[in-house]
Amino acid sequence: MKVSYNWLQNYFKEKLPEPEKISEGIVFHSFEVEEVEKIGNDTIFDIKILPDRAHDCLSHWGIAKEISAIFDIKIKDKVYKIFSSQETKLDIKIENEKCLRYMGRIFKNIKIAESPDWLKECLNTIGQKSINNVVDSANFVMFDLGQPIHCFDLDKLASEKIIVRNGKIGEKITTLDKKNIELDESILVIADENNPLAIAGIKGGVKAEVDENTKNIVIEVANFNPTTTRKTAKKINILTDAVKRYENEISPELCEKVMNAISDLIYSLAGGEAENIVDIYPNKKEQKNISLSVDYVNKRLGSNFSKYEIESVWKKLNFLYTEKDNIFQVEIPFLRLDLNGKHDLTEEVIRILGYEKLSEVLPKLNMSSNESSFSNNIFSKMFLARRKLLDDGYSEVMTYTFRDNGEVEVLASASDKKFLRTNLADGLKESLKLNQLNAPFLGMKEIKIFEIGTVFLKDKEEMHVAYNEKENIKEISLDEFCKSISDIDSTNIFNEKENNDTLNFSSVSVFKQWSIYPFICRDIAIWVMDKEDEKKIKNLIIENGTDLLIKEPYIFDSFSNPKTNKTSFGFRLIFQSYDRTLTDEEVNKIMLQITNKISENKEWQVR
Amino acid sequence: MDKEIKKGKEHPLSIVINNAVRIFTDLGFEVAVGPEMEDVWHNFDALNIPKDHPARDMQDTFYIKGQEDKVLRTHTSSVQIRFMEELIKSGKKPPFAIIAPGKVFRNEATDATHEMQFYQIEGLVIGEDINMSNLKGVLSHFYKKMLGEDTNLRFRPSFFPFTEPSIEFDLKYKGKWIEMGGAGMVHPIVLKNCGVDPLKYQGFAFGPGLERLMVIKYLMSDIRPAYHGDLRFNQI
Repeated sequence: MKVSYNWLQNYFKEKLPEPEKISEGIVFHSFEVEEVEKIGNDTIFDIKILPDRAHDCLSHWGIAKEISAIFDIKIKDKVYKIFSSQETKLDIKIENEKCLRYMGRIFKNIKIAESPDWLKECLNTIGQKSINNVVDSANFVMFDLGQPIHCFDLDKLASEKIIVRNGKIGEKITTLDKKNIELDESILVIADENNPLAIAGIKGGVKAEVDENTKNIVIEVANFNPTTTRKTAKKINILTDAVKRYENEISPELCEKVMNAISDLIYSLAGGEAENIVDIYPNKKEQKNISLSVDYVNKRLGSNFSKYEIESVWKKLNFLYTEKDNIFQVEIPFLRLDLNGKHDLTEEVIRILGYEKLSEVLPKLNMSSNESSFSNNIFSKMFLARRKLLDDGYSEVMTYTFRDNGEVEVLASASDKKFLRTNLADGLKESLKLNQLNAPFLGMKEIKIFEIGTVFLKDKEEMHVAYNEKENIKEISLDEFCKSISDIDSTNIFNEKENNDTLNFSSVSVFKQWSIYPFICRDIAIWVMDKEDEKKIKNLIIENGTDLLIKEPYIFDSFSNPKTNKTSFGFRLIFQSYDRTLTDEEVNKIMLQITNKISENKEWQVR
Repeated sequence: MDKEIKKGKEHPLSIVINNAVRIFTDLGFEVAVGPEMEDVWHNFDALNIPKDHPARDMQDTFYIKGQEDKVLRTHTSSVQIRFMEELIKSGKKPPFAIIAPGKVFRNEATDATHEMQFYQIEGLVIGEDINMSNLKGVLSHFYKKMLGEDTNLRFRPSFFPFTEPSIEFDLKYKGKWIEMGGAGMVHPIVLKNCGVDPLKYQGFAFGPGLERLMVIKYLMSDIRPAYHGDLRFNQI
């Protein structure tokens, strides 16, 4: 969610810490901050609010409360205008329990106008368009307090009656963004006596749209069931800021404050006469209290916090509490739907006090370990099969699980390969071809590869082993493969000394990404008198091979002639560039230079 | 000039996995496994991720066509559930400590740091007094063994439906902080779902990705070649 620094500042008398400090505070005590961007004289934070805090923190108020707790600075109390009592004929009827609360209020004789600059600017900085003073007010209060609001043009309604009911088959609604939606009984709507006016909690309709000629309005501040709102939004494929808030569940208790806030703002921007609020709230939420002890917190965290340190957290969060004999009774604010048990409050303690307060303690694990289960484990079989194949000179590859055909298909893949592999052989064949082309680069005479991995058949998955024998691929199940490895002691695969090499991790090696351009391979064979010259020649090749000689030259062939007492060394040279395809001419030149240099030594003859 | 057969080269991910497993088994962990195609109970419901809840959208899931109940597991956390269910079924009780390396799947576009398939290593330790400082101790020990003594660990608040408190952890390596993965104290509901008494037992779980670790360890710029079947990748 986009959050404006200047907007937050309105919540505090004192000057807030600098944006960088605010961001850091939020990151280490509340949420991930994905981006911090300066816009004009404001700073916008893009804060990633996860589902547990979407109840109370998809709003500037929510973030302000976090900042208040993190930096221990007090939030200003906001005072909203109190309207004198004015009778209303507004009639609200909830026909379906998916509407948890509906507050409505009629405002008469308002004046629709352009929004003042401060409001336009506020909305603009968080990426919202300005429409008019009434629509903008509703939008502003949602981003301020986290509660969606809707305004209807009262004169476009059949009467002063609002009904919350199920849609009917055959009914249609045109949304404010001009989409035609076919309704059915699963879709909750806000209607007048004849027609649906809005899809509850999701989107308003054009029928009762507030426009420049609007004089009288009904303000809706309501609460709907999160699951059904989410299902409907998915079904009709409309995702709005309202949906985002409702689907994560917000407390119906929020409605009251929001009705006061929106009434105050509309009155100050559009004037008019406010009638009394109509509030239908069938099941009022009960106050939640959680009790937890100092011991519980410390046991779960492995910490040593005092009663006073824990108490400081409730104070910072502005939670009401009592304490007796080191046991706290904490009154949970209605908006904190995420706090349901002791474990939840423990998180509040540690995140506010700071995770850096936790020490690092290795637990003593004298577990009732079960060696035999381990030796039957797929993991140890994989380990042993891999070791066997490596020992036999095979190298390991991994290929993709996704293929373009198979027996099991995934839905809606981001890739065009929608099937799960039924064998390893197809992937291994491709791998073999690729590696054979690269054989000179790899310095291998023969490519020997294997893969161990899962394959997916219609009704089961199975771990397979596949390897090549020349051009043929052999593939069998891991279980079968392991039966063929006799003489193995699998009870504790890591305890054997011989493994210490592969498992020694201390040697640091750095990976070198290869070039995407083709390599050129050249061979050069030289007669030498002295076998010891191999190294000298190799160095000479490296010295004259330029940067394009990207691998150390290796001997692919050597033999001695007993008559002449000479030895022939065949070196293989690999040339490749990281930024272009090399030409034969370029490489010929380098080879000529190398040949010339070698020929300078009279004891060596290039063949 | 026939020499002895030259040993083949192991895939770097296997090297990372084997070393990780060794570090944990040395601490007393057991290895556990689970299927790559999971049912919705083990991948979501038992982990306190209810149907039709926005928390299910936190990961992009591959659903299986024609089998509504099946998904490609989005995390190795499903192995936590399988292990605990089995344990209780066989009449045993905590304490226990398991490690579960395994392949997981996410339905998202690939780039140099994201693949649709990757490896996680799940850890789960449950006992009567296994606490969050122990989590910090174990993770710190693991990364010091993997990357060297001069690494530092820090926690940041986060949210996973199956842990409470939930954290993300970063590692300071060669002077830079790097996001490594998620962890937390196992949510009491998860223990209860598996038949473990949450009033008596508590513990932690973690599930960092292993590609990230490989990339850092060997200074790789792109994880994608790992699954291309290309032996040029086996340099270690």
